[in-house]
Amino acid sequence: MTDLTKGPGSPEPLPAVDGAPAASHMLDVDDIEVRYGAIRALKGVSFHVDQGEIVALLGANGAGKTTTQKTVSGMMRPSLGSITYEGQRIDGIPAHSLINLGICHVPEGRHVFPRMTVDENLEMGAFRFKRQDMDVRAHVLDLFPRLQERIKQQAGTLSGGEQQMLAIGRALMGKPRLLLLDEPSMGLAPLIVAQIFDIIRQVNADGVTVLLVEQNAAQALALANRGYVLETGEIVMSGAGKDLLADDRIRAAYLGEEIAAS
Amino acid sequence: MNPALAFLRSDSGKRLGACLGLGVALALMTGATGRQDDYLYAIKEDLFTFHLIENLLIGVVVWLLFTFWPVIRRYLTRPGALGLLAGAMTVIVAQTVLGWYEPEDAKFSGLATLVGDTNGISALSSAFFGWLAWAQLIAVIVVGAAALVLRNRALFWVGAAMAVAAAIIASQAHKKVDELAGVVDHATGVTVAVWGYLTIAVALAIAAISTDDVARTREFVNAVLGWRPGFALGAAATALALYSLGVSSWFAPKSLNATLADVHSLFKGTSLAPIAVQYFIWLSWALVIVAGALVLVAAYFRSIILGIVGAAAAAVGLVITMISIHAITSLAANSENTYATKGPWQNLGDGAWWTCASFLALAAAGLVVAQSALKGRSATAADAAHDPSAGPRFLYAPGATLAVLGAAAAAAIFIPPTLEPSWQTALVTSIGIYMFLAIGLNVVVGWAGLLDLGFIAFYAIGAYTTAYLVGSLPVKPPFELPVLWAIPFAIAVCLIAGVILGFPTLRLRGDYLAIVTLGFGEIVRLVAVNSNGITNGPRGTEDQVPHPVINLGFVKFTFGLDQLPYWYLLLAVMVIVIIFFRRLENSRTGRAWAAIREDEVAAQAAGINPVKYKLLAFAIGASTSGIAGVLFATNVGFFNPDNFKFEFSILVLAYVVFGGMGSLPGAIAGAAVLTWLPEFLRDQVPSEDRQMYIGAVLVIMMIFRPAGLIPAKRRATELRGHGPDSAESQAVPAGGGLGGSYA
Ligand SMILES: Nc1ncnc2c1ncn2[C@@H]1O[C@H](COP(=O)(O)OP(=O)(O)O)[C@@H](O)[C@H]1O
Ligand SMILES: [Mg+2]
Repeated sequence: MTDLTKGPGSPEPLPAVDGAPAASHMLDVDDIEVRYGAIRALKGVSFHVDQGEIVALLGANGAGKTTTQKTVSGMMRPSLGSITYEGQRIDGIPAHSLINLGICHVPEGRHVFPRMTVDENLEMGAFRFKRQDMDVRAHVLDLFPRLQERIKQQAGTLSGGEQQMLAIGRALMGKPRLLLLDEPSMGLAPLIVAQIFDIIRQVNADGVTVLLVEQNAAQALALANRGYVLETGEIVMSGAGKDLLADDRIRAAYLGEEIAAS
Repeated sequence: MNPALAFLRSDSGKRLGACLGLGVALALMTGATGRQDDYLYAIKEDLFTFHLIENLLIGVVVWLLFTFWPVIRRYLTRPGALGLLAGAMTVIVAQTVLGWYEPEDAKFSGLATLVGDTNGISALSSAFFGWLAWAQLIAVIVVGAAALVLRNRALFWVGAAMAVAAAIIASQAHKKVDELAGVVDHATGVTVAVWGYLTIAVALAIAAISTDDVARTREFVNAVLGWRPGFALGAAATALALYSLGVSSWFAPKSLNATLADVHSLFKGTSLAPIAVQYFIWLSWALVIVAGALVLVAAYFRSIILGIVGAAAAAVGLVITMISIHAITSLAANSENTYATKGPWQNLGDGAWWTCASFLALAAAGLVVAQSALKGRSATAADAAHDPSAGPRFLYAPGATLAVLGAAAAAAIFIPPTLEPSWQTALVTSIGIYMFLAIGLNVVVGWAGLLDLGFIAFYAIGAYTTAYLVGSLPVKPPFELPVLWAIPFAIAVCLIAGVILGFPTLRLRGDYLAIVTLGFGEIVRLVAVNSNGITNGPRGTEDQVPHPVINLGFVKFTFGLDQLPYWYLLLAVMVIVIIFFRRLENSRTGRAWAAIREDEVAAQAAGINPVKYKLLAFAIGASTSGIAGVLFATNVGFFNPDNFKFEFSILVLAYVVFGGMGSLPGAIAGAAVLTWLPEFLRDQVPSEDRQMYIGAVLVIMMIFRPAGLIPAKRRATELRGHGPDSAESQAVPAGGGLGGSYA
């Protein structure tokens, strides 16, 4: 099996910055505040992700999940606080540079290149390398046999689920060590959602650390090692996936339907 | 209710009303021009004359077409129908719009009046210009249409024969008039009419042979062009060469029009080089026949070796032809004879240049044969030609690119010398220069998806940089450069200007970006207008920008007022630019641009730095304007800010969209066609009306071919409008920007 974790472009970890916590965690988000103009979207959020984990970020619409992930991936910069990745301060480094450290982001809303073929989309995912690694490509197509079938099709003509698969596959082409997924299940049929979560598990088993943003709390927590719950820009709860899933408050707030159903 | 009123209220009646209204509008559009002292003059003239009735009749015809469209449509799909229609339209256009007699600047009707007033005109000519021209057209249309409706084979042949006869009558009648007047006439009308009739003849002949119920034009063209790669080009080139050798003018100083045979007798007894003497007796024919036969036989048998030998023979033919025509023109230049020419290569007739072009095209055809035979070892070309799913596939057949390039090169090198000086000027100062601009803007708009409405500013910057560097502005440079040395500097300045425009606009998309770039364009122009001390303000350059001098040690060439050398200079630079941009399109940078255009967020997530690549697009796009600016400045010598008005930015954008956004050949073709059109219309329609016709062409184009003349691969699939993908692909957010909103 191909090892997705070893990107040739990844530099040696730098020594820990003064004041940063001991570099035991892969990703350490420390008390970040993020603003959209006058709006404070994140009001001091702290969490961490360890090597090899799947960590879920849960929360209602507008809680700040996407904002958190964009800040980690470098699309936004925090006004306060710090983000440390493998001992190196990364807040303020733009997204296209962070990818060279092995952080790949699958943004919310299935951003594929609609007029490129599936093949070309995957190739774009490996843009940071001089040429794409054919082993990784074969592995990605193994994970998503559907993409293999549609390899010459224009991405814009794929179904929603296929586009999401393509977006994840494209991120994998960048050989991530930390994969950021923003609501991969949004708007998809339950069967497809199950498939996608299955693949996330496989990707994680290959050694990729995953930070997963989800509204689909039940499935996300079943998958995740640990979870954090965001509410209006603050973390209100955290714990192991199973514990959170068992927590009454979570069940009441996010899994209302399922209590009623069971 | 009154039946008449009922009819008027029906859909059909309303449509009739609309068509008649259009007829009135048409009458006003094409009618008399106004007068300063009486603004209603034109309207009165138009509405109370016979002119109105003509146009109302057109309205009625349009209404009939609408009303009976389902029936007409059925017949239109039959073999030959489209050819008949296109040919008939061509003849009608030739006989209404185009010029027929250059000395008097007359169209068909004008020449008809002239002929009517002249004594001693041949019976054929007076009949043709009196009534036969329209009568024969109507007869051909009626017979052709009858054949189509009745599906009668004999009638098809009769129609085809009549069309050929009509073509001969038209050309003879016109020729007799010119001969009587003893003038050289470059009017296009009769040529176009003849081509129209020949189109009809070919279409009807094909219909007579065809057994199909529905015309399969596209398959037919594919089959003909894909039958044997290189054959079509080779055959066309050979035919043109034979025609040129037999009929065309080779040497035309003053009022002389000497054919190949005439040249031989004209130069008998002079010190003409022996090879040229032989050339004008028999060598030319031998060369054409040998090279043509070799290429055609090679194409038939798909022989690599014969193809290369044929190409070599054609190359030899080209060289010997050029030696021979150089020999006669330089000899004539040094003689005291009445037929002395201004210098070598001057006063050659069309035939000489067409023969050169034919040899070049023939050489290309030979190489096409060899290349496609090499490729075809694995997959036979026949498969490619008969692929049923194929659209206009012949462009993708093996060797097609080379064939198109060869034909284009032959035309670009050898046709310009046959053009009138005014056309040569147009070729350089509008067509050529705007091709550069379109190539550059295509990078910004087509590849990176950034709408730029101020593109002409870079052209201005390029031109003013040149003027500064050669010392033609009030501010003087530290040291003056020869004008061609300004090219790298102008490119550099434009690159920097591109970055300067890029920086403040990076966060903007679509409409907002367009407005800012528009402002940028105007600022540059206004700076040029108002900085008297630097740019000499609205008066333009202070001193003339010198014409270039090329000095390579062994050859020295000084450019002057003759436009032809500029064209070759431009062509050489253009080839380099095209090669560079072709490579750029398929490079990493090109892919990054495509990604940003498609979806900026995803591009960023894939590790593409949008800031860097957008700036790069602005800069590289602007660079061709630097080249264009230099060539323009040195060509015209004097220019002023009026050369860089806002409307030119829009025109360049129109060229890019018309040609096919994101397509390099499209941008070039779009610029070529849309700069050619107004020059062409200059002689055909009143100058105030020109924009109207150009607008009409643009509108029609966008209706029938929205992806442009030569669409980019991606946009073509997206706009094809059938197949399972199209509906869904439109539902995908295109990531804002121009890529989404225009495509
Ligand atoms: N571009 C923006 N401008 C202003 N406010 C924004 C913007 N994007 C998000 N917000 C606000 O920030 C908060 C967090 O949004 P987001 O992170 O997208 O939430 P989630 O992903 O959890 O649904 C919301 O209140 C939202 O309205
Ligand atoms: Mg969100």
